Amino acid sequence: MGMFSESVDVVCTPSGQPLKLGWAGRHYTVCAEPVRWYERRQWWAEESRAPLGSGPGLVDHEIWRVQVRLSDPSPEGGARGEILTLDLSRHVGSGRWRLLRIHDALRTLPKRRRA
Amino acid sequence: MSFTHLHVSTAFSAHYGVSWPEELAAAAAADGATALACTDRDGLYGTVKHLLACMAAGLDAVVGVDLAVLDDDGDLRTQAGGRVVVLAHGHNNGAGYRALCRLISDAHARTTGKAGGAVPVAVTRAELASRTLHPETLDPVLTVLLGPDSDVGRAMRGRRYLRPRTLFKRWLDAMPPGTLAAEVVSQLSPPGEPLSTAHAVRMLRLAAEHGVPAVLSNAVRYAAEDGAATADVLDSARTLKSLPELSAAPQLQPNGQAWLKSPAQMLALGKEIMHAAGYGRTDLKRLMAQTEALADRCRMEPATDMGWKQPVVPEASVIGIAGDPLVELARRCEAGIGRRFPGIAGKPAEALRARLDHELGIIGSLGFAAYFLTVAEVARMILDLGVRAAARGSGASSLVNYLIDVSQVNPLQHDLIFERFLSRDRATLPDIDIDVESAERHNVYRKIFARFGAERVTLMSMQNGYRARGAVRDAGQALGMDDGEVGEIAKQLWRFPARNFREALAEKPELREFAGRVEQRDFTENQQLDLLVDLTERLDRLPRHISMHPCGVILGDATLLDRTPVQPSGLGLPMSQFDKHDMDPMGMLKLDVLGVRMQSAMAFAVREVIRLHPSKAEVVAAGAHPAGPDGNGPDYIAEDGHIDLNAVPLDDEPTYELIRSTHTLGCFQIESPGQRELVGKLAPRDFNDLIIDISLFRPGPMKSDMVRPFLEHRHGFAPEVYPHPDLVPVLQETHGVTVFHEQILKTFDVMTGCGLARADEFRRALGNEMLEGKVEEFFRKEARARRYAPEVVDKVWGTLKAFGSFGFCKAHGAAFAVPTYQSAWLKTHHPEAFLAGLWEHDPGMYPKRLLVAEARRLGIPILPLDINRSQAEYRVERVAAGPDRGRLGIRLSLSGIYGLSGAELKRIVAAQPYDSLADLRARSRLSRPGIKRLAQLGAFDSLHRASGGAANRADLVRHLQDLQHRPQRKGVEVIEGQLALPLGDIELRNLKAELPAPGMVETVRTELDLMAVDVSEHLMASHRPLLDRLGVTTADKLLGLRNGTEVLVAGVRVATQTPPMRGGRRVVFISVDDGTGCVDSVFFHEAQEQAGSLLFGTRLLLIRGTTRRTGPRGISISASMAWDLSRTGTLPFPGAALVGLSGNR
Repeated sequence: MGMFSESVDVVCTPSGQPLKLGWAGRHYTVCAEPVRWYERRQWWAEESRAPLGSGPGLVDHEIWRVQVRLSDPSPEGGARGEILTLDLSRHVGSGRWRLLRIHDALRTLPKRRRA
Repeated sequence: MSFTHLHVSTAFSAHYGVSWPEELAAAAAADGATALACTDRDGLYGTVKHLLACMAAGLDAVVGVDLAVLDDDGDLRTQAGGRVVVLAHGHNNGAGYRALCRLISDAHARTTGKAGGAVPVAVTRAELASRTLHPETLDPVLTVLLGPDSDVGRAMRGRRYLRPRTLFKRWLDAMPPGTLAAEVVSQLSPPGEPLSTAHAVRMLRLAAEHGVPAVLSNAVRYAAEDGAATADVLDSARTLKSLPELSAAPQLQPNGQAWLKSPAQMLALGKEIMHAAGYGRTDLKRLMAQTEALADRCRMEPATDMGWKQPVVPEASVIGIAGDPLVELARRCEAGIGRRFPGIAGKPAEALRARLDHELGIIGSLGFAAYFLTVAEVARMILDLGVRAAARGSGASSLVNYLIDVSQVNPLQHDLIFERFLSRDRATLPDIDIDVESAERHNVYRKIFARFGAERVTLMSMQNGYRARGAVRDAGQALGMDDGEVGEIAKQLWRFPARNFREALAEKPELREFAGRVEQRDFTENQQLDLLVDLTERLDRLPRHISMHPCGVILGDATLLDRTPVQPSGLGLPMSQFDKHDMDPMGMLKLDVLGVRMQSAMAFAVREVIRLHPSKAEVVAAGAHPAGPDGNGPDYIAEDGHIDLNAVPLDDEPTYELIRSTHTLGCFQIESPGQRELVGKLAPRDFNDLIIDISLFRPGPMKSDMVRPFLEHRHGFAPEVYPHPDLVPVLQETHGVTVFHEQILKTFDVMTGCGLARADEFRRALGNEMLEGKVEEFFRKEARARRYAPEVVDKVWGTLKAFGSFGFCKAHGAAFAVPTYQSAWLKTHHPEAFLAGLWEHDPGMYPKRLLVAEARRLGIPILPLDINRSQAEYRVERVAAGPDRGRLGIRLSLSGIYGLSGAELKRIVAAQPYDSLADLRARSRLSRPGIKRLAQLGAFDSLHRASGGAANRADLVRHLQDLQHRPQRKGVEVIEGQLALPLGDIELRNLKAELPAPGMVETVRTELDLMAVDVSEHLMASHRPLLDRLGVTTADKLLGLRNGTEVLVAGVRVATQTPPMRGGRRVVFISVDDGTGCVDSVFFHEAQEQAGSLLFGTRLLLIRGTTRRTGPRGISISASMAWDLSRTGTLPFPGAALVGLSGNR
């Protein structure tokens, strides 16, 4: 699993679920139902201020785990069928998306969800 | 769509909840809710505030508790298995609320009421089950919610399948049908963590398997997302671990989603859970419907369920009357007339009758007669105990209270208005406060419990909220900062709300250094300090814990414990979870029985006077009292020498002379630096002046500049001005300045004819944004109709508006002035006994050592500690020898010596006198370090002298020191009745004289270390050479200086005050004691800037300033600069550092 933090463009459904995303010049389609959660931040180490009324986004951030597949066949003939599992975070104020993690173990996710 | 939150912690869940009930109710109402629950942890701490907030927001209140349940498998007494939410059902005539109160009391019954007890606040499952049904109808009256934090929910955090089911079955087996529900919560935490959607799904499935209704909640801790960070800090404060530690554990909330979500958001959550569970629309509908159905079942009807606003007093039979309470009250008042007003006749008698009928009429129509009889019963009980008691507060406005001995103030004499206390227009139970001797307070409480029965009495509690110092400490702990560093910062925070910390950084000179560090752009430290400031502000005012209120006792009938949960107080007596704000809404009768140290000190003084002068003649001679009607002394002194303080006439000239001298240290209410300045200026001549003085020394009058015009008029510097001749009778006693509430009432009445009862309602409305406008309208209309000129109306309204909200109730002033006068009277006539009482009970604002200095100033000898003469309390003693022979001195007490236990003290006193050290060891079984300390303080000096030894105190201490390291030999057992041989003290006699005797500096240091009092010499005395070189002026010389003289003064800090001031700019009063008296200095803005961190942190001060005359006998210093006297290097005077300052500490 790699750790990243780079900007991605995400197109969402009206209810706010990611549908398509553009990353590093390529276009991907979300191919399975995404999972969403809120993850804690070590805000006391990452922030220099925490005044009353700073609003949402200080203590946690919204994470979406999506499975995506390339929308267009790659020029190098990369496998169109290959599925990537990505963790995206949505910044609460700006609504901008960042890519946090790329998972290698593709099959872990459905298992976890059964619980 | 509407959604009801059934699991909500308010800020009154100490160290857990973040938001105030008002915020939560307002947020819920804004989202369209029709009801809202308050389920604080461990109690109903926020319930009444919640009820009020719901009423204001137009919501129905749901009432419950979040409670730990003891683990059936674990140690039954100490291990909690999980937490459940218990909701009371409503609309059942209080059956649900009653069961809830009793259940919560059960949960606290085994705890000790002290911090850190081993037994947690929790119930057993059996207790819980037994409370869930109506005792008669057997209908369910409580619903228990099993949620993610219950034992079932906790067992679901792993992947175990069987365990949660086993635990759930236990609940089903234990609880009556219809009393359980499953609480489904998803706070959208990461998959696999508690409070994740998967976690919620498991609970939902389990409920479905067993046909138990499931409800949706969000286990709310804060009204909005912003509260999440505060909740983190509270978790840290509760667990005493830093955020990094908690995060690693992991013990923090998984994320920040525990806020009061909107109905749409809750529906979306429900949808998400259903989707994850593989359930459909119908299931979602059912979940939401069951939630609302339970909410409907739990809507409280405030009046019928919780007794809202219905006063309850003890049953008539309990206060010992059979018939109509009003008839009985009238009968007792009648009896009181003969006692309080012997021989009254004619016009005064008519006036008295009219007033009494008026009061009884109002009391009767409100149905409060039983209340007055109850209070009278308590007052009688206290007096029967022989304990000094005095009513304070507006209760002193009532003639009835005076006649039934509840109050000692004659309201007719001081023109006090009954309506200020009680009127037909005000149906709330009035407050009657009784001051008793502090040393007897707990005793009085126990007697009240015994008299009325434990089921009718409980102590009131109070909420202790975060203030700046505590907040900065806990914020620092959360950030993992160094304790010492945070402590240093905390020390500099001086009485401002934590919420204004950042603002204070910019303004307050004493925080300048810290502010500089915050601003430094060095990231790591600065980041932490910046956060420290923010987190401190977040904690401001949040409740930390409840404790016993210093005086409130709640009295009720046999149903009291159905109406309030109780828990043990530190004292062992039960304490209600409700505070003073909850009393009136819940119809609870509260009596303030306040322990007043001054009452104890005065009682002590009176006993000392009898002991020293056991006859009337001796007391009259010793106190220079007047000859009295028959020449044998006044009536208030009994034949045995007992002084009836309450009977002392209030016109003793020497007493007023003392007050005017401003040497009022130790006197009730008038000893503070500000008050000494005011009495100096005002120069009271009679009792009414004292009432005025006490009433003026309040934040309102000081802030709004009432004092200066009052003084100018009083001393005739400026002519008195009245807005209208009609108001002259109302304002004459205060020279045209409105000071008292009573004057506001009369002004309203004179100019509008509204009657005094309505006038008091108007007064209450002043300062209230919503109501004041209406009052103004009425006042202007009616006053104009009575042909008052527009400019008169304008002017008077301006006064009412400005002073109405904070003027002082004259009845309060009068009630306070009585002990003020009595204490000054004792200081005037029996100063030794009075000072001994002060030392014994320590009633004032100053450290004891300042009172020692006062004794020195008065020339009262302070007699050293002596193993055979000192007792467990301070004693007045006639000096037997030396230059003070024949005078009265005060013998130091053996109590208050560092390291000497209460048991040792008792044994020493019980076995006195001793003829030798061996005798002391054998009979008092005092520890070796204890004996050494007594030797250091000179307690054996007289024994030593008597033995004829040649050695000194230092030799003895060395000898005892050596003994400490030798193995203890078993003492010779003395057979009872056997007399020791009268050998004297061989040990002391044979002691070799080797060491030089301890010097004065060393002796004083020992005294300060072991007793916190400098007895042998003032601790400033050792600084005298330096001070003389610097040209420092002593306190006793100041009065001889001209106004505006530049001086240097020095001394030990004895008081620091920052009273509210006109214009809102802070003024700091610092008083230092230099051994010749007290110097009061004032630091205005500039001087505060100059003094910086010295303002609050430094003990020994050198101050430069100019004298300002405050009255004929008063003078103070307007400071311009201060230095720390103990840091000689910093003193800006050549050669200062060269003078040794060996005596400071």
